[in-house]
Amino acid sequence: MISQELKTVILKQLNLDDFDLQGETIAPQVPGWDSLNHINIILAVEQKFGIKFKSRELLQLKCVGDLQKLVDSKLGK
Amino acid sequence: MSEFNFDIEEANTLWKRWSLNAKKYTNREAIIHWVADGEPHRWTFGDLLNSAKKYSVHIKEAGIEPGNVCAIVMRHNPNFYPIYLGISRTAALPACLAYPNPRLHPDKFRQGIEGMSQRSGLDYILTERELEPLIRPLIEKPGSTIKDILFPLEWETQSEVDPKVDEKIEAIAESVKDTDPFLLQHSSGTTGLQKPVVLSHAAVLNHVKYYGKSIGFKETDKVVSWLPLYHDMGLIGAYHIPLACGIPSVQIDPFQWVLAPVIQLEAITKEKGTLLWLPNFAYNIYAEKIDAEELEGVDLSSVRRVINASEPIRHDSHQKFADRFVKFGFNPLALTGMYGMAETTLACCQTEDGKPISEVAADRNELSNGKFKFAEADAVVRICVSSGVLIDECKMKIVGENRNEIADGLVGEVAVHSISMFDGYRNYPEKTAEVFAGGWFYTGDYGFKHNNEFYIIGRKKDIIIVAGKNIYPEDIENVVNHVEGIVPGRVIAFGEDDEAMGTEQVAVVAETKTESEEEKKNTRMAILRAGMSIDVNIHKVYLVPSRWLIKSSAGKPSRKANKERLISGNDPQVWSK
Repeated sequence: MISQELKTVILKQLNLDDFDLQGETIAPQVPGWDSLNHINIILAVEQKFGIKFKSRELLQLKCVGDLQKLVDSKLGK
Repeated sequence: MSEFNFDIEEANTLWKRWSLNAKKYTNREAIIHWVADGEPHRWTFGDLLNSAKKYSVHIKEAGIEPGNVCAIVMRHNPNFYPIYLGISRTAALPACLAYPNPRLHPDKFRQGIEGMSQRSGLDYILTERELEPLIRPLIEKPGSTIKDILFPLEWETQSEVDPKVDEKIEAIAESVKDTDPFLLQHSSGTTGLQKPVVLSHAAVLNHVKYYGKSIGFKETDKVVSWLPLYHDMGLIGAYHIPLACGIPSVQIDPFQWVLAPVIQLEAITKEKGTLLWLPNFAYNIYAEKIDAEELEGVDLSSVRRVINASEPIRHDSHQKFADRFVKFGFNPLALTGMYGMAETTLACCQTEDGKPISEVAADRNELSNGKFKFAEADAVVRICVSSGVLIDECKMKIVGENRNEIADGLVGEVAVHSISMFDGYRNYPEKTAEVFAGGWFYTGDYGFKHNNEFYIIGRKKDIIIVAGKNIYPEDIENVVNHVEGIVPGRVIAFGEDDEAMGTEQVAVVAETKTESEEEKKNTRMAILRAGMSIDVNIHKVYLVPSRWLIKSSAGKPSRKANKERLISGNDPQVWSK
């Protein structure tokens, strides 16, 4: 389950009004989510939640659900 | 060695050069296959050659003949390198192709391979089992040039090679002449418009010699690269040149790099890397997109050259990079630039060692009128960054419309003549005739010469360069033309400057009869998806009413005129997002 907060920050960065982001959604399925934008999305998520990711953690991300879990773990959820 | 000395006479083909290196530097590291989450695989020159011999036996057994083109479509794998070398040993031509991104529609991937097959005459595809369902139907199609699909990662390479078989293959390798074709690379383009460039052994070896001299290769050098090997800068600069010179290169997975760019800095630190080639956007990423915490322990004091090429060099990108990394031991004099292309193997000119890269503050309006003039106090300034001076055995001139050379300081098309020139596009005589005349290759790039240095400032053709990748607007326009709600034939695509990322981004303008906000949003989404189907990210969509687009004299919508109209005007009829 992707939180509304995470969804909002991703869609804002991609300049999308709406998109059905599911846990299993992968970046290439989402319009605009290419390698250049990926970096900006990660920075925007860090800023929004006041957290920092490590490169090793980012390499493990396969889908939006993985990003949600990583955010949750950083927030101690 | 104190001075770079590369003797082509010692070994006049690449296989002979690699064999020589395996004898001279048996235990020296050749390729360090980097993985972010584990120990790298370290190939010595000796091991690499032995493994290549084993693969060459399988390649020969598969029926591959001298002159056959073998496309390699593979992800980052330590066995890629001996497979590549093994193909060359059998006198076949390796050709690296991009592994399909999940974004790319399977039909588009197939069409791309089919187009390349028809144009380049691909004979075999060496790939991973996962791609079999995508590629196999192509072989079975009537008239296909592709003879077979092979899975070399599944081949057995533990046992020793039968000496008799080995001898036969070595005899083939020995019979290859320096003028024979060595490899095939695709110059640029997205899916349908790639141009196949065949390079001879002589072209590549001469390039190693003269470009190697220009950048002053040393035995202590170590290249660190994440560049894909289907790109000329990655293939020639970061792979072939060090391999032929007998120095190590660290090869990083491009897919991992885009997720975590800091891994290249870690690799430089651990391996004491000295040389890297980067497209301009990477400087911006390093300068602005990596957390300070991630840089703890990074040491760039070993780096003696970072070579900026494959998209226009930007003053701001260099400045930001130097400002951030000086405290990590980076020497700003290591910032250099290069200009080149697949058709000349790689480089034509390169900025000089040990001095700041030349930059001139040009009057932007004068440049638009075809003339370089130093900007005066009230002028709109464009900082032009030099791509350097000619490398040996390469000539360049700036020509006017009639292809006659024009004076220094005037802007015109760049024409090149090089010892490492290609022999023409394979199976594409009409395209070759368009760009190749009297020994000169007319590049389609615009620039000027000043104080013996070349400044590249634009392109005659409308190619868009996003993060070092060339994209033809025609490819985008073709797919967007099929989007519902768009007036067919009334679409243009162009590159829009993205200063923050240090590159261009793709913009599309389309005429539409849709009127409501909701319909326009849906049309935009459909245009974005059309771009995705050919693995192109459309950054911005402009929707305009029918008959809005300015036509060129040929009756087609003009990319240049409409781009200028959009950027300069604030037309209320334009909807954009």
